[in-house]
Amino acid sequence: MSRATQTALIRDDRTLYEAVAGTAVGLSGVAFAVGLAALLGVVAIDDPVAGFELSVAFGAVLLALGAAVVGFGVASRFGYVDAAPQPSAGIVAAAAFTGIWFAVGAIVSGAVGLGTGGRLGVGVVLGGLAFATTALPREDIGSTLPAGAVAGLCGLSLITGVVGPGWKQVLVGYNATLFGDTVVPLIVLFASLVAGWSAAKAYGGFGARGRNVGAYVLIYLVVCSILVVLVGLVGFVTVKGLPGLFNGFGVGGAALISWPFLTNGAGLLADIAGVFPALVGTVWLVIGAVLFAVPTGVGAAVFLSEYAEQGRFTGAVEVATNGLWSTPSIVFGLFGAAFLIPRFGNQKSLIAGMLTLGFMLLPLVLITSREAILAVPDEYRDASAALGVSKWQTIRSVVLPAAIPGVTTGVILGVGRIAGETAPILLTMGGGVLPAKSAAPDVLGGFRLSASPPFVSNPSLLEATSALPYQLYALITAGLSGNIQNPQEYAWGLALTLLLVVLVFYAIGIATRYYFRRKLHQ
Amino acid sequence: MSQTDTAETTANRTDSQEISTTAGETVEETRPEWTSYEAAGQTKLAVEDLDVHYGDDHALKGVSMDIPEQSVTALIGPSGCGKSTFLRCLNRMNDRIRAASVDGTVELDGENIYQDGVDLVELRKRVGMVFQSPNPFPKSIRENVSYGPRKHGDIETGLLAKLTGRAEPEREEALVERSLERAALWEEVNDRLDDNALGLSGGQQQRLCIARCLAVDPEIILMDEPASALDPIATSKIEDLIEDLAQDYTVVVVTHSMQQAARVSDQTAVFLTGGELVEYDDTEKIFENPESQRVEDYISGKFG
Repeated sequence: MSRATQTALIRDDRTLYEAVAGTAVGLSGVAFAVGLAALLGVVAIDDPVAGFELSVAFGAVLLALGAAVVGFGVASRFGYVDAAPQPSAGIVAAAAFTGIWFAVGAIVSGAVGLGTGGRLGVGVVLGGLAFATTALPREDIGSTLPAGAVAGLCGLSLITGVVGPGWKQVLVGYNATLFGDTVVPLIVLFASLVAGWSAAKAYGGFGARGRNVGAYVLIYLVVCSILVVLVGLVGFVTVKGLPGLFNGFGVGGAALISWPFLTNGAGLLADIAGVFPALVGTVWLVIGAVLFAVPTGVGAAVFLSEYAEQGRFTGAVEVATNGLWSTPSIVFGLFGAAFLIPRFGNQKSLIAGMLTLGFMLLPLVLITSREAILAVPDEYRDASAALGVSKWQTIRSVVLPAAIPGVTTGVILGVGRIAGETAPILLTMGGGVLPAKSAAPDVLGGFRLSASPPFVSNPSLLEATSALPYQLYALITAGLSGNIQNPQEYAWGLALTLLLVVLVFYAIGIATRYYFRRKLHQ
Repeated sequence: MSQTDTAETTANRTDSQEISTTAGETVEETRPEWTSYEAAGQTKLAVEDLDVHYGDDHALKGVSMDIPEQSVTALIGPSGCGKSTFLRCLNRMNDRIRAASVDGTVELDGENIYQDGVDLVELRKRVGMVFQSPNPFPKSIRENVSYGPRKHGDIETGLLAKLTGRAEPEREEALVERSLERAALWEEVNDRLDDNALGLSGGQQQRLCIARCLAVDPEIILMDEPASALDPIATSKIEDLIEDLAQDYTVVVVTHSMQQAARVSDQTAVFLTGGELVEYDDTEKIFENPESQRVEDYISGKFG
């Protein structure tokens, strides 16, 4: 208490307390990371750690963290450490702990065997107690006691094996079972988050600085878990898909690189079944959609932001555009099937798919281009007008170049969405489940000149064509069977190829944006 | 094309004496006594009874003044007095503000620029403008300078021109060099003409904007507080440049700084709150012995 309200300007002395609190924060971080790994199945919760099962070790760590956190609070409350706590932990923390302890009470009392009324009662009592403990005492007690108790309780349940590797719980009323290897990591994640936050506050000596450190740790851990989800997802698909993708891959030989999975069809003649037709289909599909959507979208954006009077008309266009962007893709698909297909030879075709996806891409290109054009400083327009340059020339040579990075961003986002779309292609483009190499569209070589209207024809645009997401869908609905060896491996390879195609389009877009940004600013 | 233009304007310059005198006589009746300033040189711009409204806001009230050619005319006054609005009337930049409506006449070499059928492109080629904050395009220095002539088709560049042999890189080079030299920037940037203009310092950017304006070969240069965003050294360079430019061009400069007006201008117009032109005379007269008590108060700092 002696210097509790006094803040030192320079804090360079590392006290034992700070060292212990820092260690506790670090330990929470480690527990959180290992918990994430366990959740993703990288480590198993019954793996032995120093002679114990991992879940028991988790329990010990959480219990220690809980005790430490409570210890920090008590030490601060009785003035053994240099801290600057505020009078209360605040209403947000109080509300959070009320919710947490209500849930803890309801779950624990349910496990003991109380009925609905009893569980509610216990939950309300514990929640109220937690509220009082958080809100009423000084901050150092309020933000440590409830947190430490949660972590300690979670730790106890893991040490004693109440929840452990073999644990499972049938959810009454739902056709589902919870297993220990999911629940244990979740408990660890939750408890280490709470304990880490509390320990971080203690490390910062509570008060404004403590809250700052606490928020920092909380945000950091949450961001880490988002990254883990992303990396986990991509990693999962990659690991599963690599064997299929590189099946028969070889360097050297007649062709410099032989990559049958990408260059073969799935016909009977192919030794190794590949995804060539669908890959080519997807690439053409995206190119076609971009060729349709970018000129129209950018043109409409120029009209709306440079020429049209801001008013009811532009407002209506804006509402319509936003509505179009949030329209479900299956609806676009239905439109394509009902409107486009009868007009293009009455069968599913590549061009119908291109246009349908182009319609889907259009609103996003329009919205982002409009934002980008509006973000171009008016000074450029004034400067150009003052030189006697006409409006259209100004737009073409100053406004649009300055807006290109923004437009590109919109196209990147849109392509990421449409390249993976299945529903519209299903309805408008079709294609086989396992198309042979000859089914790949030859768009460039398909153009034919003729003497009668329309003078140019391209049969490959009018044929049913497969695309990666559609083929994957068709393969799964067909029960992963067909005239190919190892359909599982083939399907995962297909999924990885789709992911890579989207990433390549992303990379192209980002490189374009980078190029134009550099050109504008250096 | 530019050659015929020059011929035309020279013709206009010789005619202008007669027209401005007639304009001057009518103006005399409506003006307060002390603004009946007779310009020493030939009148380049004759403004008469200029009223500007922004919606309900009456921003300029019946302003009349003659701006003589090849001199520096400073417009001073407190913020919101309408001096920038007045400046933007002289090349019809106010047309770009939807709510603005302009009444009255502005005669450039005797031709009213507010009559029907005025070609804004041609007008703005003859009446160039430099803005308050430097606003070079995010392009290379060379492209910035040659932007105007390129867009007017005076210099052909680009792939098609190259392929058909109509490209004139030497002419472009000469134009860029001439304009940058005239704007006193050539020495500093001649080794990096292809660098982005946004990499220049604020003062250099502003001189680049002046060079960009000069490349179109204007007769009048309007400057809207051209040095207000610059440090003292850059400001003094711009001021030197303004004085230098007045040998060949008619310069109208809006400024907040009375010292700047006193340093660079030949005649000064004082606008005071409410959009009125209160006094217009030789700069020396305005600063040493103004007719109006309000102007004296403003200049001595009693009234802002």
